[in-house]
Amino acid sequence: MSLARPVKITVNGTLYERVVEPRLLLVDFLRHTLGLTGTHVGCEHGVCGACTVIVDSDSMRACLLFAVQLDGCHVETVEGLGSLKVLSALQEAFHEHHALQCGFCTPGMLMTTVDLLRKRPLASDAEIRDGLSGNLCRCTGYQHIVDAVRAVVAKQRETDA
Amino acid sequence: MKPPPFDYQRADSVEMAVAALARAGSDAKIIAGGQSLVPMLNFRLLRPSLLIDINRIAGLSFIEDDGDGLRIGALARHRHLEVSPLIARFFPGVAEAMSHVAHLAIRNRGTIGGSLSHADPAAELPMLAMLLDAELVIASPRGRRTAQAGTFFLGALTTDLAEDELLTEVRLPKLPAGSGWGFAEVARRHGDFALAAVAATLSCDGDGAVATARIAMTGVGDTPLRAREAEALLLGRAVGPSGLAAVAEAVRTAAAPATDLHASADYRRHLVSVLAQRAVAAAWQRAQEASP
Amino acid sequence: MTDASQLHPKLVGQPIKRREDPRLLTGRGTFVDDRPVAHALHVAFRRSDHAHARITAIDTTQARTMPGVVAVLTAKDLAEHYQPLKATSRMANYHATPLTPLARDTVRYVGEPVVGVVAESRYLAEDAVETIAIDFEPLPVETDPEAAAEPNAPRLHEDAESNVIVAREFKRGDVDAALADAYVTVKGRFRVHRKTAVAIEPRACLAEHDAGHEALTLHSATQIPGILRDAFAQALDLPGTRLRIVAPDVGGGFGGKASLYAEEFFVCVAARLLERPVKWTSDRMEDLIATSQAFDEIIEAELGVDRAGCVQALAAEALGDIGAYSIYPWTAALEPVQVVSFLPGPYRLATYRGRTRGVATPKAPTGPYRGVGRPISTFVMERLMDMAARKLGLDPREIRERNLVNAEEFPYKVASGLVWDKSGFRECLDRACQAIGYDALRARQAALRAKGGWFGIGIASYAELTGIGSRISVAPGMPLNTGTETANIRIDSTGAVTASFGIAAHGQGLETTLAQIVADHLGAQIGDIRIVHGDSAAVASGSGSYASRSLVLAGGAAIRAAEAVREKVLAVASHLLEAEAADLVAAGGKVSVAGTDRSVTFREIARAVYLEMGRVPPQAREELAAVKSYDPVFGTTTSATHIAAVEIDPHTYEVRIDRYVVAEDCGRVVNPKIVDGQVHGGVAQGIGAALYEEVRYDAEGQIQTASLVDYLVPAASEIPPMDVQHLDSQSPSLGGYRGMGEGGTIGAPAAIANALADALAPLGIEINELPATPERLFRLIEQAKARSET
Repeated sequence: MSLARPVKITVNGTLYERVVEPRLLLVDFLRHTLGLTGTHVGCEHGVCGACTVIVDSDSMRACLLFAVQLDGCHVETVEGLGSLKVLSALQEAFHEHHALQCGFCTPGMLMTTVDLLRKRPLASDAEIRDGLSGNLCRCTGYQHIVDAVRAVVAKQRETDA
Repeated sequence: MKPPPFDYQRADSVEMAVAALARAGSDAKIIAGGQSLVPMLNFRLLRPSLLIDINRIAGLSFIEDDGDGLRIGALARHRHLEVSPLIARFFPGVAEAMSHVAHLAIRNRGTIGGSLSHADPAAELPMLAMLLDAELVIASPRGRRTAQAGTFFLGALTTDLAEDELLTEVRLPKLPAGSGWGFAEVARRHGDFALAAVAATLSCDGDGAVATARIAMTGVGDTPLRAREAEALLLGRAVGPSGLAAVAEAVRTAAAPATDLHASADYRRHLVSVLAQRAVAAAWQRAQEASP
Repeated sequence: MTDASQLHPKLVGQPIKRREDPRLLTGRGTFVDDRPVAHALHVAFRRSDHAHARITAIDTTQARTMPGVVAVLTAKDLAEHYQPLKATSRMANYHATPLTPLARDTVRYVGEPVVGVVAESRYLAEDAVETIAIDFEPLPVETDPEAAAEPNAPRLHEDAESNVIVAREFKRGDVDAALADAYVTVKGRFRVHRKTAVAIEPRACLAEHDAGHEALTLHSATQIPGILRDAFAQALDLPGTRLRIVAPDVGGGFGGKASLYAEEFFVCVAARLLERPVKWTSDRMEDLIATSQAFDEIIEAELGVDRAGCVQALAAEALGDIGAYSIYPWTAALEPVQVVSFLPGPYRLATYRGRTRGVATPKAPTGPYRGVGRPISTFVMERLMDMAARKLGLDPREIRERNLVNAEEFPYKVASGLVWDKSGFRECLDRACQAIGYDALRARQAALRAKGGWFGIGIASYAELTGIGSRISVAPGMPLNTGTETANIRIDSTGAVTASFGIAAHGQGLETTLAQIVADHLGAQIGDIRIVHGDSAAVASGSGSYASRSLVLAGGAAIRAAEAVREKVLAVASHLLEAEAADLVAAGGKVSVAGTDRSVTFREIARAVYLEMGRVPPQAREELAAVKSYDPVFGTTTSATHIAAVEIDPHTYEVRIDRYVVAEDCGRVVNPKIVDGQVHGGVAQGIGAALYEEVRYDAEGQIQTASLVDYLVPAASEIPPMDVQHLDSQSPSLGGYRGMGEGGTIGAPAAIANALADALAPLGIEINELPATPERLFRLIEQAKARSET
């Protein structure tokens, strides 16, 4: 029988102490143990990207991690990006450019973009598409998502300049 | 698709990890990046009773220059290789190849040790290990041994590792100065496993003739392959159209592709010969640019 | 005098930001699996691993004792608790097959649910599923549709005469004579392979039984809550007052969530039986195996043209592989019939014969998928047009110019009996060519070809019927009303407006577009309007969202109901403001006396009616509510031309889409950003159908594409930027709207196929099979090379 383990995981700045079965996937821990249902399950084999979160500053698939592995780690999910009243600049850009339709892939798309913005220059549309190609969307055909990310990159460049 | 139940142990050291492996026998699996392992667990294709997590072992994710080569810790993430200045300087082809490995979220977590141990027959890193004659340091309760990439990959998803062994380090001997590299891959979508891929390096002597040549391919056999006959054909002369054609033919003969959902053996064979020409041509071009 | 409505510009036509977005962007959407329900039980199914077999024994002994397991249910356990459903139809030559929550004595496809394990968690349920032992007696399997259609093929349904469970013919004139007379004929065998929708949210359903009220609520990721309500009312013997189906936030549908599923049936029955909430969330493997599939068609077609390239005759024989069962409610006829009823396309064609059959094979049932039969019919017809053009030495643009029905010919009766009321067929072609710079593109092609490049340009023109009303069945002869939509609008005592509809949006932004329409026609502020949809209890009768109907039908009903409520608002305001209703203008949430600054807000009007006794005398009181329906009767024609430019690597045969242009006539645009998004998404799925996606079964009926590593959905790197042009030829529908959600998928496979064929024309290669994977291109090119060497 698997022995449940205690873990301390910080999610969006809040420390959670829970006891988990080793096989509990991080995505299920977030959704059902913590009730943070913003991170979605799309495939459970790391392909669709809907479950993407950020762990210790790196984007990762929450369906390919076990909660028990993340004791002491810092996780960022979509719930930490902005609020209903005050969207983050990235969320606002998605809103402005109609970069979401059903919204199911959106949290993963946002978290991937957060990591891309930190790590890649995203100087061209081709680079943006490359960077997003690990997140499947069936609704948008990607064009408005690329528009939103391009706008955010341009704005960042303005602020940096 | 939820995984079956398993026990979990965190290893704080290599010794602890291999001791746990030895105790559990075939019933235990090492989890490093987990990007290949966890999908198999979720599909219930594997049922280990114990997962030994090595992610917190300190001192296993380095990339260092030892003068004659680069030493890479088995826990170095794909992303580290992709952006490492040392890799960019000494093995730019590896940096390029890494950008074809899946996507950022996978590269942030997946490790070189995991990729080589998993030995997918269409993966880029096993091919690069073969290309560069990587030396693999392997730990077990009996101590350490060094294996050669050329004899490490035994079949699809099968390596020389015993049940109680753990890959801890990969050493890439440096290439001759002025070496040029080439990498060419065809996949169904960006980031997918290769239908076929070829990596090549070439160096020239003072007279502009090929002095060393390496050609490796993946996706066209149970393991990655070195195209040694093709390499031999290039030595001692400049690379021209007939040389490339000869390489294409030799590679076509050396490849042992299978047919699957995505491509037939015939098409893979065709692809690898085209890609070999492209990779070798690019390596030649770069080698010439590097020479004065 | 300033008209108050001029101070408040119309919202219809504006690209306003969506009201759905804030919750979806912040991870506060409520998809079915997100719903927190106390004491819920979770289901995992033991599914058939045989394509066709009799079930002789099921051993669940060990499963029932596993940790956390509450029940292990087979068809026997459920038998007394439901009536089976059947997708019936008045169509001749149709055999209906039953739908039950679990397989009874026979399984007919790998993945068919046989046993349902209900446990405290999905993890524990899956553990128990593994211990179930089923004795199967294998029955003969025939997976090839043509072989299965033979009279002596092993039969999948013993009570049917053969595996061909639907057959239909459309004809006009003597097509054989006309083909014989034609100046030139072209023909081909066209093959489109099986697809599945792959919405990023897999299916999910959660049934909650309220024992005290004997009421059942089903939350389901469905496009058809109204249809489910009516069907389950029958199957479970519950009145509409005690049965409610709710589609909350739904993560994409595309038709894959537009049918009634065994799993939904199961959770409803199980919840009542076990008296606890029962939830099933599909995983991706189950989705790829058991969600409805589509597009698996073989068409032999021949086109005859005259010397000028004018179409004279068209004949087609279609065979649709409809899988193991006739899907509920659309029936197996849905796609095969559309393939031949839409085949003549937007062209002037007098003489036609289209025969179609649907054959049952041991695969997951075929159901609606974006475009249904139209992507296939467009692929066939547009390939034939290009083939005819090539034979006559005409440019593909020119042959279409000569054949597209012109504005003065509307309404045009298609040879299959459909009617094109009005649409800009020719205008779309012209605009697409202009937008892509057609002549310059041909010049670029010539230059690239001269250097050995393989570059092709493909045009696809199509027409479809959208927003269809009661006179046309979405699928022939079904006992359900897809032709009407109802709007229920009321202003409450706080002055807020609730507008309820029977539609069920799943990404298309109807909470926003319908609010735009209501705001304009009622005169309320958009921020005060709440759109209710996706709830069978919100209207007396509804069906859902499918077949590009929602904006046209719900929009039309919204206009009627909003205007009715506005009349009442103005009547009350007229009393309050002591002015004639004719002098009043309602806009932006208030009613003003034109030319003055005297006004009263909607909120004040609501308070006066509801809360301030005596303020409005009884004879002047109005109920600030209206329920109105809209039936367009026939529906309206939507059309577009797509043009794709592709480049094929002459050595690896990889395909790169260089340019993509769509010029579409979808009538009045309510929200241009949303319309663009629908076109982009539809085209992306069409590109998937053209180049990447294929469900594969082996000869034993084992599915080979059970993960996203094998079923390839295009990502951002595989989809090009698209230039979308809008035209509006003024639809006669109420509001001037046309449906347009499926158009992208209808045009793209044909445009890509034609572009590939154009690129490979120098090798004499036709592209008549989709997806045109690199492997298929390799085979065609090798064969062509061998031909040229002999």
